[in-house]
Amino acid sequence: MINTRGHLSAESLDLLLLQALKPDDQKSAQSHLDACTECKVRWAELAEDSQKFQQYVFPRTVQKIEARLVPVSFFERFKLAFVVPALGLAAAIAVGVVMTKPTVAVDDENYIGLKGSQPSFEVFALRNGTQLFKVHEGDALKAGDKIRFIVAPGASKYLLIGAQDAKGDFSVFHPYGSDKSVGIDPAGPRRIELPGSVELDESVGQERLVAVFSDAPVSAETVKAAVTDGKEPAIPGARVISWKYLKEAK
Amino acid sequence: MVSSRVVQSEKVAQLYRKYGGVIYSRCRRLLKDDSLAEDATQEVFVRVHRHIESAPDDTAALAWIYRISTNYCLNLIRDRSKQAEPTDVLPEVPSEHPEIAMVDRQLAMTLIERVPEQLRAPAVLYFLDGMEQEQIAEALNISRRTVINRLQEFAERSRKFLSRETEGGIAS
Repeated sequence: MINTRGHLSAESLDLLLLQALKPDDQKSAQSHLDACTECKVRWAELAEDSQKFQQYVFPRTVQKIEARLVPVSFFERFKLAFVVPALGLAAAIAVGVVMTKPTVAVDDENYIGLKGSQPSFEVFALRNGTQLFKVHEGDALKAGDKIRFIVAPGASKYLLIGAQDAKGDFSVFHPYGSDKSVGIDPAGPRRIELPGSVELDESVGQERLVAVFSDAPVSAETVKAAVTDGKEPAIPGARVISWKYLKEAK
Repeated sequence: MVSSRVVQSEKVAQLYRKYGGVIYSRCRRLLKDDSLAEDATQEVFVRVHRHIESAPDDTAALAWIYRISTNYCLNLIRDRSKQAEPTDVLPEVPSEHPEIAMVDRQLAMTLIERVPEQLRAPAVLYFLDGMEQEQIAEALNISRRTVINRLQEFAERSRKFLSRETEGGIAS
């Protein structure tokens, strides 16, 4: 893992980022990282690239990739040309009918993912660069705290984490600043530590964190709309975990 | 019934989700260009799909995708170097011991476009990936002696190139 030149190989750094090293190797790689400036620089570059990929590159390229992997057959081209427009028309009529009734959707009723495989969401905070602690619902956080997330997808394919502050402003924390949810690997590790941390701003008061797990991308606008009425947010086709915390001045 | 082709595509899409970030980072380091890296990452996973039946299991899959990405990026570099002379300004190096600078991976990547093709893969695997000579020999299916010779030739050519550039004032 550490080569004869005294550095971590690129593959070791990648596996460390992917949390795919054996526990002993992970520990040893981590302690090498703490002491080696060169590897630290490479680690920082890798983490930055990886975060950029997750936030921007993956969302805009995954559909292109998927389209290239399954070439459109003659039958599918036929469907696209004739059947899909007909179905689209039928769907438009159906939506028109549904929209005239009030939505009574409970999130689990509409959830498309595997039933019984529940997603979960944990929050950790770093205060003053030294004090690391797990955050629970109702805990107080402070402006300047850096928070990170660990999630278990529970067979969900997409995730968005956001927060609404006391003034009602909504921010997307993961994928940071994005306008929609990002893909996560439902077949990946059971718990995933999301890259990057979010530094809480100076505004104070009661805030709400919300994690939206879904099988299809969900827009930030949809999540924002779901949290603005002050009730427990529910989004059709998604599982939503939401809790409140108090943010205090630094 | 779900066709095997669809299953394979889903597997590749999962690999793209899982390893796309590290492969993107690797392509970015090799190609030194964000958009080329983005395109290259996609091409790598399309190639992964073509050979998915020979893909190894989980952890070994990364090393396998590494090899595909290295080959793809080196081919791009080869094509690019055929089209035009590289225009990167070389970083300043200590003139007394230019060979010491060879351990700097940034410098190595700048020089890689300027050496013959057969020297590039060993240089990438050694300087960028931090692999051992034996591992490189295994990955490229050549002898360790050949790896050592090619790395020495890479260092020698780079040294000459750097001396020439330094004398010409480009590097300073």
